Amino acid sequence: MFLLSFVPDALIQLIVNGILIAGIVGSVVSFFFGFFVRWMPWIIPYRMLLQILSLVLLIAGVYFKGGLGVEMEWREKLRIAEEKVKIAEEKSQQVNTVVQKVYVDRVKTVKDTQIVVQEKIVEKEKIIDAECKVPKEAVDILNEAAKTPGAKK
Amino acid sequence: MKRLIILAPALLLSGCLTFGTTAPVRHKFPDVPPELLKSCPDLQIANETDKLSDVLKIVSENYGKYHECRVAVDTWIEWYKTQKEIYNR
Repeated sequence: MFLLSFVPDALIQLIVNGILIAGIVGSVVSFFFGFFVRWMPWIIPYRMLLQILSLVLLIAGVYFKGGLGVEMEWREKLRIAEEKVKIAEEKSQQVNTVVQKVYVDRVKTVKDTQIVVQEKIVEKEKIIDAECKVPKEAVDILNEAAKTPGAKK
Repeated sequence: MKRLIILAPALLLSGCLTFGTTAPVRHKFPDVPPELLKSCPDLQIANETDKLSDVLKIVSENYGKYHECRVAVDTWIEWYKTQKEIYNR
């Protein structure tokens, strides 16, 4: 079946239809043999051969016709599925671009706010430091809290 | 001849089994924006000082780092929800 994907659909259909039609014609001829023999007396010695051959062709033709129908149905399903996946991948890519932009904008806002806060601290430094001295223990506790729990030292 | 005719339907029906396969279509897992793959930075440690303003600078810087990390996590959640919706559609 894999190799069939390289053969054009029209050619496969032509071959399958050919086998089926040959089988039908052969079966009709062998079924009404007495009728056809009047016009084609030379087929008398080939009666048995014609019966077997036409039956084989008919069975093969119906089999291939059914198989081809299913194959075409699968190809169509595959095409639809591939199309859906392609659309989904395009949408995913678009989402990524939007998410990336939103992230960069949000981080910029955070950094801008940070700069403003730092500037305010520098501006009010004298007022902040005027009435308060921070003991060493307070800084140690703060640093201890800032360390990532469970991280290697 | 009659035996062959009886055999025919069985042979014809076997064709249905031959062609029933799963469609080989794969949806590639989407790549996440590289900015989101960075882990959150460590918090800043204060140098030895008795000035409250120095401590305040470190604390506010650490708040900033937290906010940046929060933005990354929120973006991850949004990214995941949207991609899941697209995948399930």
